[in-house]
Amino acid sequence: MSRSRTLPAAVAAAIAILLGIPLLTHSNYVLGIAISGLIFLAAAAALNLVYGYAGLLSFAQLGFWGVGGYCSALAVMDFGRSFWEGVLFAGAVNLVLAVAIGVAIIRTTRHAFVVVTLTFALLANLIARDWVDVTRGPLGIPGLPAPSLFGFAFNSSERFYYVALIFTLAALAFLYCLKTSRIGLVLKAIKQNEQLVESQGISAAPYKLAAFVIAAVITGMAGAIYAFHLKVIDPSFLDFYYMQTFLIIVIIAGAGSFWAVVLAGTVMVVLPEALRFSDELRMVIYGVILVAAMMFMPRGIAGWMEDRRIAMLRKALR
Amino acid sequence: MSAILRVSGLSKAFRGVHAVQDASFDVELGSITGLIGPNGSGKSTAIDCVSGFQRLDAGRIVLNGETITNLSPATVARAGLVRTFQNVRVYDSYNLVDNLLVAEAPFRGLSWYDALMRTRAFRDTRSAAEDRARRLIDHVGLTPLIDAPATVLSYGQKKLLAFAAAMMTHPKLIVLDEPVAGVNPNRINDVAATLRKANEGGVSLLIVEHNVEFINDLCDKVIVFDQGRKLTEGTPAEVHSDPRVLDAYLGIAPVQQHAQPEAT
Repeated sequence: MSRSRTLPAAVAAAIAILLGIPLLTHSNYVLGIAISGLIFLAAAAALNLVYGYAGLLSFAQLGFWGVGGYCSALAVMDFGRSFWEGVLFAGAVNLVLAVAIGVAIIRTTRHAFVVVTLTFALLANLIARDWVDVTRGPLGIPGLPAPSLFGFAFNSSERFYYVALIFTLAALAFLYCLKTSRIGLVLKAIKQNEQLVESQGISAAPYKLAAFVIAAVITGMAGAIYAFHLKVIDPSFLDFYYMQTFLIIVIIAGAGSFWAVVLAGTVMVVLPEALRFSDELRMVIYGVILVAAMMFMPRGIAGWMEDRRIAMLRKALR
Repeated sequence: MSAILRVSGLSKAFRGVHAVQDASFDVELGSITGLIGPNGSGKSTAIDCVSGFQRLDAGRIVLNGETITNLSPATVARAGLVRTFQNVRVYDSYNLVDNLLVAEAPFRGLSWYDALMRTRAFRDTRSAAEDRARRLIDHVGLTPLIDAPATVLSYGQKKLLAFAAAMMTHPKLIVLDEPVAGVNPNRINDVAATLRKANEGGVSLLIVEHNVEFINDLCDKVIVFDQGRKLTEGTPAEVHSDPRVLDAYLGIAPVQQHAQPEAT
């Protein structure tokens, strides 16, 4: 089984299936889950870049997600711009924000980084709630219109699904290029041993900043699209539930593994729904599966597989 | 001979404890120089300062005519001074080639755009880097393990890999922090041969080590530290016949108070 041949085939098959989903079902329920799943996957893959690659546990993702959602909603509702411009605006605002925050905190310790990013997420929530003139406060901004392109309106779940799909595929393709490039190599090296990287003549700070900013832009654009999927945005858009979802996907997958995150993202979206056969026990079973996964695979699926591989290698070398 | 590294008046204190006090020494171009001294004599602090990992309280460090005092470790490395670590450091999850590719200096001439888009220039540089990595891995005798993640290597093998990674950066001077401590005694000669070969290729070496035999065998000049100061320097033979050196290590000569500052 050569990896170089199976991988493109598997990716092609997955894309074909994803393209075909709206043809297989017209259920708004299923499509709604698929749309959420795709967008969460893009955000989780972005978190994987900062946390899994650069080794920075960033809770700011939630803030960027919310800022993205509000920016696109305001661009459309208050400035009369199109949805597409709104998404780009969300990306641009997050770019500026992430550079400003990143430059200040990228050189701090990892603990300080966690605290500052968490504070940013909480602050974003507070602003959404209290800056009533702009965000409409707790009432939120309802009635976000369906996006349209050259007169074609993405006004059904089937149609909106393709917006989410294209965005997520583009984001994943970009992150994959990044991961397999020398930049990805250096980022993961920084996570393993920052001092060693520095001793080899590479300044770690620009790499960490780049990872933080790229993740912020992708997360912000994902949030922008998600807001238009919900058709309403209010402070609950900054609920910790979203951060939790992204984190669970990355941690169960094993931080730092691109494909494991893609797989786990899919499973984590499908699983809660698949468990609906037992409505009372649904969340209990979900919880048990999560706890068991963490007990037996503390470094996630990818970490578990790597440990097996190394154990086999060690045995062979003895 | 001219000096590749010139350290003058180096001082460093931790909370008032003088780890290194007014130490001056040179490493000659193309030489293998040893740095020895009892535990806590300031060797590690000295090389931390030289390689940019600690800020100096006072003093001046010149590498190949260029002042590198208090520059960041990355800048110092780019100037041509690369260090290894006492507690060996490698990228555990990477295979040996990737371990070396991280350290490949010529990549730095290329932009992130080149890296991301895999331009022609980038691919050429990378294949050249991969060839170089394979040669260096062969040079330290780790070719049979080339595809294994570095975590499966033994302690001694990791030290060899760390040395190969240092070589990958095209250094002028490598500072080695205890290259054979904890290494299987049967393999020490291999390490010595590897270092000598690198030195013949034009790289100067500064070696901090406790293994006297190893130092005597390799070094042209030995610098001795004691209690944060440079005690003496000379050929291995001169140094080991110096009564002050014996005193520093064994406390044989007349009584002296040994307040040993913690250096690491």
